[in-house]
Amino acid sequence: MSRLNVVGFTVLIWLLAACQPSPREEPSSNRPLSVVTTTGLIADAVKNIGGDSLQVQALMGPGVDPHLYKATQGDLKKLTQADVILYNGLLLEGKMGEVLEKLSRIQPVIAVGEAVDQSKLLGSPLYENAFDPHIWFDVTLWKAAVGEVGRTLQQYDSARASFYEKNMQAYQRQLDSLHQEVLEEIGKIPNEQRVLITAHDAFEYFGRAYSIEVRGLQGLSTLSEFGLKYITDLVQFIIDRNIKAVFVETSISERSIKAVVEGCRKKGHQVVIGGSLYSDAMGQAGTPEGTYLGMVRANVQTITEALK
Amino acid sequence: MEAFWIIAAGSLVAIPCGLLGCYLILRQMAMVGDAISHAVLPGIVIAFFISGQREPISMLLGASILGVITTFLIEFFHTKARLQTDASIGVTFTWLFALGIILISVFAGKIDLDQDCVLYGEISYVPIDLWITANGTIMGPRVMYIMGAVFIVVLLFIIIGYKELFLTTFDPKFAAASGISVALWHYLLMGAVSFTTVGAFESVGAILVVALLIVPPATAYLLTENLQKMMLITAGLGVVVSFFGYYLAAWLDGSIAGAMSLVAGVLFAAAFLFSPQEGLLTRKKRMAFATNKDS
Repeated sequence: MSRLNVVGFTVLIWLLAACQPSPREEPSSNRPLSVVTTTGLIADAVKNIGGDSLQVQALMGPGVDPHLYKATQGDLKKLTQADVILYNGLLLEGKMGEVLEKLSRIQPVIAVGEAVDQSKLLGSPLYENAFDPHIWFDVTLWKAAVGEVGRTLQQYDSARASFYEKNMQAYQRQLDSLHQEVLEEIGKIPNEQRVLITAHDAFEYFGRAYSIEVRGLQGLSTLSEFGLKYITDLVQFIIDRNIKAVFVETSISERSIKAVVEGCRKKGHQVVIGGSLYSDAMGQAGTPEGTYLGMVRANVQTITEALK
Repeated sequence: MEAFWIIAAGSLVAIPCGLLGCYLILRQMAMVGDAISHAVLPGIVIAFFISGQREPISMLLGASILGVITTFLIEFFHTKARLQTDASIGVTFTWLFALGIILISVFAGKIDLDQDCVLYGEISYVPIDLWITANGTIMGPRVMYIMGAVFIVVLLFIIIGYKELFLTTFDPKFAAASGISVALWHYLLMGAVSFTTVGAFESVGAILVVALLIVPPATAYLLTENLQKMMLITAGLGVVVSFFGYYLAAWLDGSIAGAMSLVAGVLFAAAFLFSPQEGLLTRKKRMAFATNKDS
């Protein structure tokens, strides 16, 4: 094969690829607004505000760890054809978040998590602009994010603005009562038993909002490994405080938390796995846990039943 | 346009990686790309401690420095401690990766920090990861500029240093006797590998880069015994892999990087079975590529 042939072949292939027509449609007033979200949680907020009057697709399905998510060819198509893209932000989506942030300069791309007042975010004491992205565990913070979703929909689909406004307010009232409900339920757990031990550090906001002490095995990154000493300390902590249950998460492996249960058993303290909590992703669509409201209720129920 | 940009980006990664991969395979250092993909972790963590942010430029800088240190240490252990190259690669990247893990768990427990979320790109984001100037002009996908520059530098390096690279790869003793510094060219090659792989990791992700660094050159190795032909076939394979990989991913709605690596593997299997010289089914006797390449 001569050098010229290779070059010619290369050019031919690129031209073939370039000849594909661009599939992006022009937005029209009749066509429903097409919204693409990264997490299922944001898609749930969009559904509650927009109902059937718009199309919404979430890239990450149930049980997916957003820190490790990799896009497929079809996701790219969804992103380029969307009228509005909503993502969590606060570095939840990793590399994808960076791309979306850049894209926001030329296209309607909104980070709903960044609508939350920065003073209410949990950051790292050492670094600026590194916040805990798991805002949905504090219902009041999620309410602020839902407000951002509502404002965005009103802005890009102004014909239905009042419809979105009405639905958003109704949904935010539901969130207010959910917040009260969680406060009451968690309040039923005796004070000294109010400790939530999970696999990774996603529940800090939950702990702060509903006064429950939170201990995570892993750091924020799902890659970071737990130290041996940390496990020993945690086992001692569980025995000292006489804690009845620890929890696993739907999107994280159970292996690490099982090591803790085993450690306690060897020291003669019986601790059970209190159940599986929804942390970074919701349950299957169509089940009650497939919505934000259902997911929070399911988590609270699991926690109170195991710790009471 | 998405198809075009992804196939073009895939080709722009595949060609420089493949060309350097030819030398790596012949020098029995193929896994150096994989080693770099792990060993950059402490570079990222230290860059984060210094800059306090996760922005890409300091991450890329930290990763590049560690990439060069990795290749340097591999060669250092190989020549000074007389360790085999594969063992030297194994020692170097495992302890550097471990150092990164320790740094994260000791100092950065509250930060989501690892190569996956701060360094490794994803080829499917190429068409939407645009370079937008301060006044809002869209200059096209950012990766095309990065990998375009890498492509040109690697091509120039190989054209200018062709004779030296050839001699130091196949006959280091003869090269040394004719006044070519074997060590210098080794470090230049490793520097090029480290700079190319880190740039490519940031553009299209790690596994695809490791695959493109090894599989197309290995396929070409089965098809020819001439280095120039091997490099031309590798470059051609890079484009074929990008093209068919993209359409395979589109057809299956799967990961583009995964589909491209799969196509590369299938082509290798085809060469393994049907290569005129070395094919299993063609039943020809394996011939020496260059009898003295290991001396």
